[in-house]
Amino acid sequence: MSLPDRTGLSRREYLRAVVAVGGASALSACVAENGETDVPGGTDDPDSLPSRQHAWNDALSTDDDGNVQLPEHHVLLALSLVEDGAPTDEDRETVETSLRTLERAYEWSNEGLVFTIGYTPAYFDRVGSLATETVDLPEPTALTTREDPEPDDFDALLHLASDHAEVVLRAEEALFGDVADVNGVDVDADLSSIFERLDDQRRTGFVGPGLPADHTDTSGVPEEVPEDAPFFMGFRSGFRANQATEDRATITEGPFEGGTTQHVSSMDIQLETWFTQDSHRQRIAKMFSPEHVDEELVGEIGERLSTSSGVTDERIEATAEDARTRGVVGHAQKAARAREDGQPLLLRRDFNTVDGDRPGLHFLSLQREIEEFVRVREAMTGSDLAGNGVGGVLNNGILQYIFVNRRGNYLVPPRSLRALPPGDPA
Amino acid sequence: MNRRRFFHCAGSVAALAAAAGCIGSDGLGGDPDDADDETDDGIDDDRQVTPDLPEIEDPPDAVYVPTHREAMRMLEPIEAGEYTLAPMLSYPHPFWLVDGRETERVDPDGGPAVHLMFSLWDDETGIVLPVDAGAQIRVEQNGQQVGSPRTPWPMISQEMGFHFGDNVPLDGDGTYTVEVTLPPIGVRKTGALEDRFTETETATFEFTYDEDFRQEVIGGIDYLDEEHWGERGAIEPMEHGHGAHGDDEHGDHHGDGDDDHGDHDDHHGDGDDDHGDHDDHHGDGDDDHGDHDDHSDHGHVPYSSLPPAEDYSGTLLGEPETGDATLVISLLEGDTRLTDGTEPYLLVSPRTPYNRVPLADMALSATIDRDGEELATFDLEQTLDDEYDLHYGAETGLDDAELEPGDTVTITVESPPQVSRHRGYETAFLEMPAVEVEIPEEVSE
Repeated sequence: MSLPDRTGLSRREYLRAVVAVGGASALSACVAENGETDVPGGTDDPDSLPSRQHAWNDALSTDDDGNVQLPEHHVLLALSLVEDGAPTDEDRETVETSLRTLERAYEWSNEGLVFTIGYTPAYFDRVGSLATETVDLPEPTALTTREDPEPDDFDALLHLASDHAEVVLRAEEALFGDVADVNGVDVDADLSSIFERLDDQRRTGFVGPGLPADHTDTSGVPEEVPEDAPFFMGFRSGFRANQATEDRATITEGPFEGGTTQHVSSMDIQLETWFTQDSHRQRIAKMFSPEHVDEELVGEIGERLSTSSGVTDERIEATAEDARTRGVVGHAQKAARAREDGQPLLLRRDFNTVDGDRPGLHFLSLQREIEEFVRVREAMTGSDLAGNGVGGVLNNGILQYIFVNRRGNYLVPPRSLRALPPGDPA
Repeated sequence: MNRRRFFHCAGSVAALAAAAGCIGSDGLGGDPDDADDETDDGIDDDRQVTPDLPEIEDPPDAVYVPTHREAMRMLEPIEAGEYTLAPMLSYPHPFWLVDGRETERVDPDGGPAVHLMFSLWDDETGIVLPVDAGAQIRVEQNGQQVGSPRTPWPMISQEMGFHFGDNVPLDGDGTYTVEVTLPPIGVRKTGALEDRFTETETATFEFTYDEDFRQEVIGGIDYLDEEHWGERGAIEPMEHGHGAHGDDEHGDHHGDGDDDHGDHDDHHGDGDDDHGDHDDHHGDGDDDHGDHDDHSDHGHVPYSSLPPAEDYSGTLLGEPETGDATLVISLLEGDTRLTDGTEPYLLVSPRTPYNRVPLADMALSATIDRDGEELATFDLEQTLDDEYDLHYGAETGLDDAELEPGDTVTITVESPPQVSRHRGYETAFLEMPAVEVEIPEEVSE
């Protein structure tokens, strides 16, 4: 992929496009655009960092309502082991050293860098079976009749996130030995002898007010995307009351205690229909619930919602009745039917993308077990509602607008086991 | 961003002007100051992308005769597993989405686009499959995807009956490939349709978008006599397979133009006569609707016409109207094919007046009362059957009690058909009050 033409793009659009390209030239372009960014440094004391890789919330910023804000720029690096056979202790040390370089270079925060590395079922097949009595990590499969996803069947996925485009780009370069130092820290080891990057699987994206509206030049992104919307679908998301806590998403026993499971699905989003055919009223009904329309709970982009999507127990209970009597049900009310004791099961860290030059979503969620994700997805699919006032997709939440292309399941081990873990560390 | 130029063909000369090739936006409005602009998508704005169709002021809250018959290019039907799919292409035009009892008008944006439609039917029975399973379309040009994938809307139109369709933006003139993905059909299926349509199938077709196409579909619009615009009534189903336009008969429409619409039976009766030359499509349904085989032959596209009321077995409890739809209500006893047990099966078949197009994605419930006391209330399930086609049905749920003459059956429309509407259907089938029928003295077995 070549660098984007600078003309006609805002600074933000350009940086975003540069992250999508990646590599040394992208990094140079980023620095040329912005100058060297002054990024807070990291720590030489690994014990000062959380024992969970996915412990990001305390390190990220929050919005005015106290909801955790994800960093602006995201990169998912698909990694394939270079050598056949089980990794050696030496390999593990190389990986650990390389990851520690990033932690020494950058503060563990949105101003610096946060990251995780997760491993696929294919990886554990290769290194020796996972201790299934403590972690169930199924192969990714189609979860609806409308999809035929490619599985993420490579070995590992690195998720890099920062508010600074330069940081995610430089971190990637450092991991693969393409720079000698990173934020003033020497790069002594890198991953290139262990992992190969799968360039066709490199995924990127963005979060933040206005970022989606920057992409109206992309085919399939209509000008109607609201100016301040943080996500393509036009509404705020990630309300703290609707997110699982990190504790809830964490594995609590066995050798991978302190880890989590991660589901990543990549999908196209049909925004032209959503924004130029559906009305605002219909978008609210389909995204939240018909009651959100009646009670005017949402506002233009969800600004009236503060720390919750406003889906009450009563509204969740009423999902089937809304289908029958209102002819439409909301995505949020449907999916919330999978809550346990009123608590959400998923900690979503998904982000929008224009990978492939069309609008999409890299849906990334953390949960204690993959099976919990599957339950939420089934509730969201709402096949029980089809034919009972809503169609298989028609007026059945937002199903009509999403097209799943890939799915992947991962184990994100605790930090102590993040470097090429064996299947049964005990 | 791309401001496109629109001419305005205002007022009563609109039909003439549009037929003569006026560029228009179908009521979208536009800025005449842009008249010299060219868009940056390679389409010369002197070309006509969308006809400027006249509007009907204040149409009735009922099925009404539109201003014109839509012209379209019919492509060769394609087989895909158990299905056959017939793609049709027209100019982009307004249609109406439905959620609950509200409609939302969708207007084309004036850019290069087609109104892409397809009918889908079962090869074996010839039944048009009028249910939303979430089909997907992906459009490509020269191997490059054009826009995002989309799920076309389930729609009803007087000409095409039930079909799937959407206004699909294009990148300008050229040849496009469309891949259609048909997921399994999840609704309840009975009879010969039970256990069918469980696999995902795909079909691919190509079309060329160019000046010839635009002239063909826009020039082919057939305006009806203006005195009939907005009258209660409907134009006849199109002559699928015989060319979408160009014969002299398609100006006909059902409906007598007076205000006495109370008696649908007259219209159905008329329809049977009028349809004499449409026998291959649905006229034969009157005699032998069980035999759909004719439909799949000769490259014809079957029309989604339900059997007339008298073709339903069991006891016809009535054909009440609500919201201008007709609800054929039948009680089937002694036929356990549709039920698990031995109780009678209450079958409700909602359809449009005149053309008997099935009304899908409704929610119906039934209540049975005796002497003012409720005996049972239950939901009716949307069902596809090879004999009864799309209907809503359930066992009567009376347990050990038997239905008696004089018992009343109330059908409540909890939500009207959520399918999108072409012009002439958008004001009907929205406010649909409950209807009541009575168990007659003699119940036929």
